[in-house]
Amino acid sequence: MEERVLQLIFVGLIIGSIYSLIAVGLNLIYGTMRLLNIAHGELIMVGAYTTFWLFTLMGISPLFSLFLSGLASALLGALIGQFIFLPTIRKTKSVVVLESNSLLIFFALSIIFQNVASLLWSADIRGYSYLTQIVKIGGVPLMLNRLTAFITALIISVLCYLLLQRTMLGKAIRALIQDREASQLVGINTKRIYLFSFTISFAMAGLAGCLISMFYEITPFMGLPYTITAFIVIVLGGLGNIMGSLLGGFLLGLVETIGISVTSPGLRSIISYGIFIAVILIRPKGILGRGV
Amino acid sequence: MAIVILLILPFFISDYIVSVLLNILMWIALTESWMILSGYTGYISLGHAAFFGVGAYIMALLWRKLPFFAIVPLGGLSSMFLAFAIGFPCLRIRGPYFVILTLGLSEFTKYLFINWEVNVSGTVGRILMGAPDLHIFYYSMLVIAGLGVAVASWIRSSRFGVGLRSIKEDEEAAESLGINTSVYKWLAFGISAFFPGLVGSVMALRWTYIDPYTVFNPIVSFQIIVIAFLGGVTEVEGPLLGAIVLTLISEVLWAKYPYYYMIILGVILIILVYFIPTGILEPLKGLIKSRVALKWRSS
Repeated sequence: MEERVLQLIFVGLIIGSIYSLIAVGLNLIYGTMRLLNIAHGELIMVGAYTTFWLFTLMGISPLFSLFLSGLASALLGALIGQFIFLPTIRKTKSVVVLESNSLLIFFALSIIFQNVASLLWSADIRGYSYLTQIVKIGGVPLMLNRLTAFITALIISVLCYLLLQRTMLGKAIRALIQDREASQLVGINTKRIYLFSFTISFAMAGLAGCLISMFYEITPFMGLPYTITAFIVIVLGGLGNIMGSLLGGFLLGLVETIGISVTSPGLRSIISYGIFIAVILIRPKGILGRGV
Repeated sequence: MAIVILLILPFFISDYIVSVLLNILMWIALTESWMILSGYTGYISLGHAAFFGVGAYIMALLWRKLPFFAIVPLGGLSSMFLAFAIGFPCLRIRGPYFVILTLGLSEFTKYLFINWEVNVSGTVGRILMGAPDLHIFYYSMLVIAGLGVAVASWIRSSRFGVGLRSIKEDEEAAESLGINTSVYKWLAFGISAFFPGLVGSVMALRWTYIDPYTVFNPIVSFQIIVIAFLGGVTEVEGPLLGAIVLTLISEVLWAKYPYYYMIILGVILIILVYFIPTGILEPLKGLIKSRVALKWRSS
C-alpha cells in the first residue's frame, strides 16, 4: 500500500518536473513581454522530433541531443523573436492590442508548425525506446528513462533558477517582469532581454520535448495538450512568477497523477481543465501570483 | 437584391457550387455571431467551437425523434443557454486570461463529450441516417446566415451595440458612464452562442457522422478568427468578405493540399495581423472609392 502511494508520488513528480520546465518557458515570455505563446507546445514538438530523428537516423543518444534540440529551438526562438515579434512590439501602440495580436500570431505559428511537421514527417505516430530498464528507488519500480528525464529536468530547473537569481541577465529579466518602464529607466536594454527571453523560453520547450520524446509518442499534433498544461501551471503558480511555475508544475503533476489514480486515466484532461477553470475563476492570480 | 439571387440560384447551378455557397454561408453565420461578442467588446473568444459542437450533438441526439426544423432551433437555444449559464463567472475575467479560458473551456467541453461517449453511452461518434436534400441545407443556412447578419447589424446600430463597443474602448469609462458592462457582455456572449448552435445542428446532419474531435475542433475557432481578421471585426460586411475570400482559397487548396492550406492560412493571418489588423475591408473600400473617383473625374 505504501509502495503504491510512493509510486504515485514519484510518477507525479516526474511528470511535474517536465510540466515545470514547459511552464517556466511560457512564463518567461509572458512575464517579460506579456505575450501568450499558444505555440509553445509546437516547440516541444520540434524538440521531440529533433531528438527522434537524431536517435533513429544517427543513433545519437537523447541525452546528447538535449543540447542539439535545445539549440535548434533556441535558434528558432531567436529568429521568430527578432523578425516577427520585435517589429510587432515596436509597431503596436497599445498593450491590449499587442496582447491580442500576438496571440493570433502565435496561433498562426502553431498551425504553421503543425502542418509543416505533417508535411515533412507525416502524421504517423512515432516513438523510440531508450533506457527502458527498470530500476528500483525506495522499493518502487521506475523506468530508467523516466528517472533520467526527472533528474535532467531538475538540473535544468536549478540552472534556470540560478540564472534568474544569480546573474545580471537574470536580474534584468526579473526587473523587466516587474516593471517594464522602470527597467528602461534604469538602462536595461529591453530589446536584448526580449530576445533572450524568447531564446531561453524556446530552448526550454525544446529540451522538454527531447525529454518527453523518450517515453511518450510523437506526432505533429502533440503540442496543444502541453500548451494547455503549461497555461494551467502558470495560472496556478501566478502569471509572471517563475518560481510559481516551477512549484506549480510539480503540484499539477502530483494532483493529476493522484487524481487519475482514484478516478480513471481517461479523466486526466477533465481533471486538468477543471483545475484550470476553477483557478481562473476563483483566484486568477494563482497561488504565488502578485496580481493581474 | 442579392438575397433574391441567392434564393433562386440553387435551381440553376450545379450541386458543387451550392455546397460551396453553403460553406460560405456557414462561415458567415459563425463569424458574424463571433463578432457580436469578440468584435464589438474586444473579448476575444477562442471557444466558439464549443457551441458549434453542442448544437451538433443536439442534432445527433434528437434526429429522428423530432422534425428537422424543430431540432435546429433547439440546438441554437441549448448553446445559448450554456453560454448564459457559464457566462457570468467567465466574463468577469479580462484580457489574455479570458482568451485562454475560452480555449480551455472549449477543450474541456470536448473532453467531457469524449468521456461521455466512451464511458456513458459507449459509442464512437454518432451517425445520422436519412439526411434531407442539399437544397434544404442550403436554404436553412441561408436563413441562419441572414439572421446572423441582421442581428449583428441591428445590434451594432442599437444602444446595446454602442455600449458593447464602448467596452472595447475602455471598460472602466463605460462602467462609470452607467453601462452595466457585466450584463452587456453576458447578453452578447449568449446571443453570439445561439448561431453556432444553429449551424452545428445543421452541419451535423449534413456530415451524417460526428464525433467530439471533429465538432469541437479548435480549428473551427481558428478559422473564425482568420475570417474575422481578414474581413475586419468592426463592420458587418467584414465577415461576409472574409468568409467569401477564405472559402474560395480553401476550395482551391484544401482538397489537394490540406497541409499547405493550413500553412498558407497561418501565414495570411500573420501578415494580416502585422500589416492590416483591422482587416482588408477598409483598404478595399478605399481602393474601390479611389478607382471610382478616378473614373468619374476622367469622364
